[in-house]
Amino acid sequence: SGELYCSLPNPRNVHFESINMKNVLHWSAPEGTGDGVLYKVKYSVYGVGRWIRKPECRNINSTWCDLSNETSDYEDQYYASVKAFLNGMCSDWMETTRFNPLTDTKIGPPMVNVSSTEKSISIILTAPEKWKRSPEEESVSLLQVYPGLQYNVSVLNKKTKKRWWFSVSNNTLVVPWLEPGTAYCVSAQIHVTTPLLYSGFSKEYCIATLRDK
Amino acid sequence: EDILLPAPQNISILSTNMKHFLTWSPVIVQGQTVRYSVEFQGEYEREYANESWIPICECSLITATVCNITEDISATVAYNLRVRADVGARRSEWGTLKGFFNRITTSLTPPLMKVIADGYHLLVELEDMGPAFQFCVLYWKKGQESRMQQKVVKEVSSVVHLDTMEAGPDYCVKAQTYVEAINRSSSFSQTQCVRAQGSTSMWL
Amino acid sequence: SVTEIRSGFTAIKANIQARDTIRTLSILSHPHSLHKVKPLDRCCITHQLFNFYVDKVFKHCKTEDSFVNRKISSIANSFLSVKRKLGQCHEQNKCLCGQESAEKFKQILANYEGLNVTSAAIKSLGELDILLDWIEKS
Repeated sequence: SGELYCSLPNPRNVHFESINMKNVLHWSAPEGTGDGVLYKVKYSVYGVGRWIRKPECRNINSTWCDLSNETSDYEDQYYASVKAFLNGMCSDWMETTRFNPLTDTKIGPPMVNVSSTEKSISIILTAPEKWKRSPEEESVSLLQVYPGLQYNVSVLNKKTKKRWWFSVSNNTLVVPWLEPGTAYCVSAQIHVTTPLLYSGFSKEYCIATLRDK
Repeated sequence: EDILLPAPQNISILSTNMKHFLTWSPVIVQGQTVRYSVEFQGEYEREYANESWIPICECSLITATVCNITEDISATVAYNLRVRADVGARRSEWGTLKGFFNRITTSLTPPLMKVIADGYHLLVELEDMGPAFQFCVLYWKKGQESRMQQKVVKEVSSVVHLDTMEAGPDYCVKAQTYVEAINRSSSFSQTQCVRAQGSTSMWL
Repeated sequence: SVTEIRSGFTAIKANIQARDTIRTLSILSHPHSLHKVKPLDRCCITHQLFNFYVDKVFKHCKTEDSFVNRKISSIANSFLSVKRKLGQCHEQNKCLCGQESAEKFKQILANYEGLNVTSAAIKSLGELDILLDWIEKS
């Protein structure tokens, strides 16, 4: 199609934001342009010759486009590109850097489930799932994607204010021999050694050991 | 006639716990400031890149007689290092380290360690020595050295939980560092023993 | 160690990949992906690839940026160290090369030789994450 006159300023800061391999392309509007700017998006698999248009992100006015579906194979790397349109003018295509889902995604914190008895607390940790196309699709845990995944677990005794750290590879941790009737707060983080990745810490889950009978 | 500036002498390496420093004796030129520049050459450069040398910009035209080369000595191969002096327009020949330096020879010191008993729980606080270091922590019931248990601590985050303790006996702990990159360990720290039920760490 | 190679590469990944403007060609991932290599052939291909990087790639990657050059030296010397260990495996017949791995490596060389030497070297260096992801996968 005949290209329009391309002197519109370019979209800025075109980049992928990825959490648990939900890979969303983001950009900022061209400098000095008010409302009314529309965009179109294309992407390519690194090493493969073709740019592929994303129909759902054609003539959109939002400054993001979900490319999770198109970039779900994490054994590949990708580029994406955005072009802006306004009043018959257009910008150049502006590209991302090369995106490697495996190393460039951010890992969400683990889910933490805590239960207690009189003198112990049991902690069950669940790694987040990789993004999937639909709820019906089979879930893939990030544990399968990153075999070296470990959990750093912090246990805070609310009475003594002392915090203990545990590093566990499997997903359960039992802390026995605790004080009855005492509140303990648990928070956990995921750590992948290679590629080096850390999740943020989960919310703190507090639970009290049962009182002495 | 310009007297040739002498090359730096007594060039040597101080390497402890994977931190490597190049040092040399100062070149004395009365009333003038002498500056030094350092370059390194790895085994790759010697064998595959025409024996090329690579400058360390943090140690380019410096007045100090020491250079932290840790960042550049980042492979377990033999490195060459050299230093030269500059005063104004005058420049010395390179002074080269005698022999090679391989980080496998770094000296490893036992880790600083504090053992804590918190109720029935045995905990240890270890010094953060950087990403290259892991810790091998051994602990046992006093008198039962044959039933020693081991925990590898890869990440130091303040107080690390080792195990639970029965009330009564003393529990003893010692630790050594392990550096995977050079596959070497330090000697063990001194042993520290504690007892369950709220006793704080003490030397026994 | 591979971890040190990974951290050295991460420090210069954006810089090196930005120098590779050929999006449509790859040395390691297309048309034949490393991830298709059979487990039996992994050791041989790894050994050949470390030789390939040491013998052919790094020497053509010199840049005008001294920080990047120092990191490349660090990676190259780490590769040399790992290459030696793999060489020992090879000598002890623990890293044998069959027909399929020879074929696979030939494809990689063909991809490499399809470009001028500097572009091919920079592209190969920029694909170190592909190599490391594959090595660390199992």
